[in-house]
Amino acid sequence: MGKKKRGHPDVEELLARPWCYYCERDFEDLKLLISHQKAKHFKCDRCGKRLNTAGGLSVHMNQVHKETLDKVENALPNRQGLEIEIFGMEGVPEEIVQQHNQRIVTNFYTAQAERHAATGNPPPGHSGGQGPAKKIKIETPDEIKRRLAEHRAKVAAQKAAAANGGAVGIPTDGQSPGQVVSPFPPPQPGFPYPAPAAGAPPFAAGQPFPPAFPAGPSPPPGAATAFNLPARPPSGAPPSALPQRPPYFYNGSGAPPPGFSGTSSTVDELVAGASRQGDDIDQLIRMAEAGIKPAKPAAPAEETGEKKSKKDKEKNTRMVYGDTEISPEEKLALLPSYKLVEV
Amino acid sequence: MAPSTQFEVSQPPTDVVGTVVFAPNSNKLLVPSWDKSVYLYEVGDSAEDAKLVNSYEYRAPILDACFGADDNEAFTAGLDREVTRIDLSTGEKTTLSKHSEPVRCVVYSPEHRLLISASWDGTLHIHNLAAPDQSPVTVALPGKPHAMAASPSKLVVAMTARLVHIYDLPSIATALSNSSSEAAAASIQPWQQRESSLKFLTRAVACMPNDAGYATSSIEGRVAVEWFEDTAESQARKYAFKCHRQTAPEEEGGGDIVYPVNALTFHPVYGTFASGGGDGTVALWDAEAKRRMRQYQKFPDSVAALGFSRDGKYLAICVCAGFETGMENYDGKGKTKLFLRELGETEAKGKGAK
Repeated sequence: MGKKKRGHPDVEELLARPWCYYCERDFEDLKLLISHQKAKHFKCDRCGKRLNTAGGLSVHMNQVHKETLDKVENALPNRQGLEIEIFGMEGVPEEIVQQHNQRIVTNFYTAQAERHAATGNPPPGHSGGQGPAKKIKIETPDEIKRRLAEHRAKVAAQKAAAANGGAVGIPTDGQSPGQVVSPFPPPQPGFPYPAPAAGAPPFAAGQPFPPAFPAGPSPPPGAATAFNLPARPPSGAPPSALPQRPPYFYNGSGAPPPGFSGTSSTVDELVAGASRQGDDIDQLIRMAEAGIKPAKPAAPAEETGEKKSKKDKEKNTRMVYGDTEISPEEKLALLPSYKLVEV
Repeated sequence: MAPSTQFEVSQPPTDVVGTVVFAPNSNKLLVPSWDKSVYLYEVGDSAEDAKLVNSYEYRAPILDACFGADDNEAFTAGLDREVTRIDLSTGEKTTLSKHSEPVRCVVYSPEHRLLISASWDGTLHIHNLAAPDQSPVTVALPGKPHAMAASPSKLVVAMTARLVHIYDLPSIATALSNSSSEAAAASIQPWQQRESSLKFLTRAVACMPNDAGYATSSIEGRVAVEWFEDTAESQARKYAFKCHRQTAPEEEGGGDIVYPVNALTFHPVYGTFASGGGDGTVALWDAEAKRRMRQYQKFPDSVAALGFSRDGKYLAICVCAGFETGMENYDGKGKTKLFLRELGETEAKGKGAK
């Protein structure tokens, strides 16, 4: 079959594009990237001078303005650090590169699967014999809402189960108590990718669940929605279109993260882990693009606070400490280890 | 690379810490802990040069501490239900008063020589240190106090049910010096009674060093700034804002994870303030310009306490394991860390209202 590009760049081209460590944007060539970094991330907000690196800017701020630079401007929340010296594509940590590539590949295959589903064309190399031609199933808003509600309920149930079951509950894709306590974002668990039948094509959305996935006990919510999905925009849950890649771990050491044991993890966990991996960074990027500062409002002005709190009511927020009458100290004081020893 | 100006202090307390407080005249740092000890550190010429000077053992966890008239005098409050004066040079302890429940806060007002303790028994004990023989005066509160702070002339007590009482310190001092304890107790009334601007349990209170107002924070990732002056104009200036939040992952339904704001402290020189939250971050705010000035790199755990040195050069940051709803088996032992940040000359200086 002749190759028709149809304006879709192939995955190698996408992977070859230079991209910015600080905001994950990619560029046509390195020159553009460097000028982007100078303008967006290494520009002095006092005098507008454009420096080459974060370190350069820091020295400049120190010497010229007698101020300390504490973070890189316009960077994604977890990429604001000054410890890493970035210039163009130089200095990007290996695990971040892998994470980025993973994201590109994931998005690419999601988009490809969507195109195949939308056009009804089989993926390359599977002309016919793949099953009946795909029908585009269009969900009504009601159906989508219902499905969302089901998904939410499932998540809630799993959370409740995990909470009741304590530390050794069902592995959910929710946060474990330990993770919630941690001020860091979920620690990017280093789940390897499921490697079912290496070389198998990424199955298109809408296809039946590929047999390579053993039917595990109750799929996690992320996966549950994804598997029965018709074509959906990539903002949905992309795990179904995850490409097959050799397993590797994100923690950079190359060793499995603590708590991971090759045999005990179900495929469901792996898929959930993989989907979260993708979602994290994607979400950060989406938010950054929309100009949303995730951590805090930039200006705590009353007017904006008012508006935001109205918006907030629709947004579900989860309080880490929700007791409105009893302070944490009072609870601590009840623990046996802090009991007063009467003399 | 930016020159690192933040150092971890060796030999931190071994358990949860509620307060870090600098001495009025030196760079001594007092840190009471739930490990039943109070620690005294001294910062030398730089943040790197901070060391443990002494530690004082108690029979119960200590929730709060403050310095007294000089750098050698301190007061502590704890689960032993006692308010204790301690001589930091000799370690000698004197019990000043006993509450019927653990004592949550203790505040000293050097201007009026008053020591005020707030206990979960729902009372304040006001000690007139100018007349040490006088027994402390008990003032009943309508709720359990959770946080307390004093400015040069006002005392702000934040309680359950979102109650905030503001007392006028000069009039308390006058009442104490002119009448007997019983008469004084009857005459002490709050100067103002307010409802918290925040909808949730108050976590911390801090007063502006210029005596103009105060800031409160709640368990629900929010900080409010208010002014004392009871005019419509001043009250219209008050505001609240969200902070110390994180976006939850998509598969959990998105939304925000909201952390308690555990610590607030005003910069003694510039009048800006720092907040520390359960998300492990510390942010510097300009109350006048309503702007965030800085946010520091994440700390490994929940920020439990903050304190500026009297000259504003250092910021002490205490980090402990975070609290969370439903944590019955909380264990913060060995997770406490104490950091000292040396601030640049203008690091905490606001840019003024726009």
